[in-house]
Amino acid sequence: MLVMRRRAGETFLIGEAVEIEVLEICGTRVKLGIVAPDSVLIQRKEIKITRDENIVAVRSVGRQSISSILDKVSAKLAGAPVK
Amino acid sequence: MPRIQTRCFDELEYSPDAVFEFPSGLPGFEAEHAFVFLEQPATHPLMFMQSLSRKDVCFILLPVLAADRHYELRLSDEDLAALHFPAGSRPQIGKDILCAVTVCAADDQRPHPTVNLFAPILVNLKQKIGIQAVQTQYPAQHPLITQGCGEELATCS
Repeated sequence: MLVMRRRAGETFLIGEAVEIEVLEICGTRVKLGIVAPDSVLIQRKEIKITRDENIVAVRSVGRQSISSILDKVSAKLAGAPVK
Repeated sequence: MPRIQTRCFDELEYSPDAVFEFPSGLPGFEAEHAFVFLEQPATHPLMFMQSLSRKDVCFILLPVLAADRHYELRLSDEDLAALHFPAGSRPQIGKDILCAVTVCAADDQRPHPTVNLFAPILVNLKQKIGIQAVQTQYPAQHPLITQGCGEELATCS
């Protein structure tokens, strides 16, 4: 991972088209300004992780998966070793 | 009693009290704003969060304390506001809020089912409003297996 130190008001570039400015630093929070082409998707990583996991969760629902999940849950709650 | 087409149990009757509004939807399912929470004796303690508008959108949920009995929520003021709680309040799991985690079945990528401790489903039980919060201190794919001492886990059933 590239580590770079920037102060408020300073900017850096990713490639030619993406520009990120540190607007404000307040305690543990940083406010960033991003300039990028419309074709570049900008998203909070935690939302992407949640979206990906939600889509897999919905896709995995089925009678068979419910019964196998239930087996694991019952074993966990009973403290028994899981097969 | 109204009836709903469900993904897992065909058509079921449901109580309007079990319907929760998610004003922002959920990541990946932003258009789904109303879910009914279904429980069946045969599948206890699992819950099913079924979209009212799309039969194919259903999540398997597990109460968070059954997945991790030491789970601790850290709610931001934005989370509290979205749930209609005052800033700085500390709603209690089970009393003020329902907190449950989504479950993914095992597949080629994951040898065991996993629970998403990173993004729990939270609902204000009184106001019937829900969000999917983010708890960055927890993993999104926590394996659903017995860990460590069995006695400790047995007490949470």
